Amino acid sequence: MREAALSTLPRAKNAPMRLPRQAWLLARNDLRQEMREWELVATAGFFTLVVLVMFALAFATLSRDAQVLAVPGMLWLTVAFVGALTLTRIFDRERESDTLRALLAAPVERLAIYLGKALVTLLVLLGCCAILVPGVVLLFPAAAPLAEHPIQTVTLVVLGCLAYTSVGTLFAAGLATSGGKNVLLSVILYPLTTPALIFALVATRALIENHPDFSKYLSQLAALDIVLVGLSGWLFESVLVGTGARRAPTTRRRRG
Amino acid sequence: MQLFEDFEPEGADAAGAAGEQAPALGGGEYEPVEGRDRQSIECQRACESVAAKKTASDYSHIVWAYGIIWALFCGYGILMWRRAQRLAADVEALRRRIDNGK
Amino acid sequence: MGRLFPVILLGVGALTLPYSVQRVFLDTPIERTMGTVQKIFYFHVPLAWIMMLLAVVCGVAAGIQIRTRSERAEATAIAAAELVLVAGLGVLLTGPIWGHATWGKAWTWDARQVTTGLLWLVFASYVLVRHFGAAGSERLAAALAIFGAVNVPIIYYAVKIWKTTHPDNNVVGSLPPQMWASLWPALGGLLAMTLGLLWARIRLERAEIALDEAWVGVEDAPQEA
Repeated sequence: MREAALSTLPRAKNAPMRLPRQAWLLARNDLRQEMREWELVATAGFFTLVVLVMFALAFATLSRDAQVLAVPGMLWLTVAFVGALTLTRIFDRERESDTLRALLAAPVERLAIYLGKALVTLLVLLGCCAILVPGVVLLFPAAAPLAEHPIQTVTLVVLGCLAYTSVGTLFAAGLATSGGKNVLLSVILYPLTTPALIFALVATRALIENHPDFSKYLSQLAALDIVLVGLSGWLFESVLVGTGARRAPTTRRRRG
Repeated sequence: MQLFEDFEPEGADAAGAAGEQAPALGGGEYEPVEGRDRQSIECQRACESVAAKKTASDYSHIVWAYGIIWALFCGYGILMWRRAQRLAADVEALRRRIDNGK
Repeated sequence: MGRLFPVILLGVGALTLPYSVQRVFLDTPIERTMGTVQKIFYFHVPLAWIMMLLAVVCGVAAGIQIRTRSERAEATAIAAAELVLVAGLGVLLTGPIWGHATWGKAWTWDARQVTTGLLWLVFASYVLVRHFGAAGSERLAAALAIFGAVNVPIIYYAVKIWKTTHPDNNVVGSLPPQMWASLWPALGGLLAMTLGLLWARIRLERAEIALDEAWVGVEDAPQEA
């Protein structure tokens, strides 16, 4: 199935459409599988719902002033939880059939693999946000401004999820190929994505409070997205394949 | 930040000036002791006790802070020393293994 | 030379630090508003600088490691990350002690406190990945260190806009000359000691890498013969 998808990839070198096209073909392949099984969307969507209900139970009695502060936190914490779950599942799939290694050996741009995986993760995450944001608006009256400014809300959610996805895809892919334990993904991901989540948090609060600085925060988040996507894309090949000649010891011994 | 030395309390100059004028008054005859009134002495003692408390608290904070820094570095040194011990044991094990192999 | 160098550095540190303690406590006048407790400053601030320096060293070494697979760079990155944790813990513990005495509150969510805390978490996760990661996770950890080093200014700025009412601090720029004169020996002593530990740790890590390879060689040998 995946081999069939690979054979449809254009082989011509340095064609201008090569990279985006390859990335899109890889992402489409994953999405098709997802459309057949609905595994990711169903599990991640349900998880979003459960987290939302838990937050609602914990914070239902908050006053309106406190809600203004709590809602952005709930929103982006849920994104962080769901994101880690989605990334684990997406790359578990690859690990089960060892397809990522096959993909890396195939004549495909490595950057295209990264972009394809990041696109799938982003779409799943956005799907979950389609449950999350209306749910938050329904449950907490203070979050109403999110519904009143739909364009700003959608932009903010897309930019925030993109920041999380760009870092997450790199490290989830690295863990999947190194045979590392999945628990390490959360260990890596939460400290590293904190600044991006803080930016998203501040911007969300500004949107809820109708603060004039909202557009400034949004453009800063966009700039951070560019930095994170660029850095992750640049590191992706080195992390997954390695460049130099030194043979890494197959096992590190534990002493004592 | 400012140094304490650079700080001159208000009235310090006035007091200095008064002190210079004092000998001009005095001759050989009776001179009353210029004591301070009870109120200002109590005020001064209160200030002193505040200052003493502050100094004691400062000292305990400083001792803790310095102790923690040195404890951390010593702890890291001990960890490294133990690591070196384990490494030496491992080298010994490797050497034995090579000797047995021959 | 490689064996002697850390000893020399640690020796320099051992000589400079008592001198700097003597300078700080006996030769430097007491600060006007904070009083005696301000003396923590002479070790807290250099330690924070050293932590930042080591974070950058770790990021650069990880970048070299990922490009050239140099084991020297790998060992440097590991050693620097561990010392970031040690120095960071020192900064994170002495900071609140100073704050408790000066502001009456240990943790004020000041931008630099939170930044240091988050940076410490990133390098703690680096050390965790190095320690518990499977074979092949060293490149992953290197990417983590690079992200960590790049994150330093981003975290600082993020925390700054997150807490818009942070106390505006430009203390270090306007120090009187006597305070600078006491800061330099403290910085020098701490730097010498940290670099000595760093150097020794790098040598230890390289020895471990070489020993691992020797073991792999010995265990492969009978099959070849």
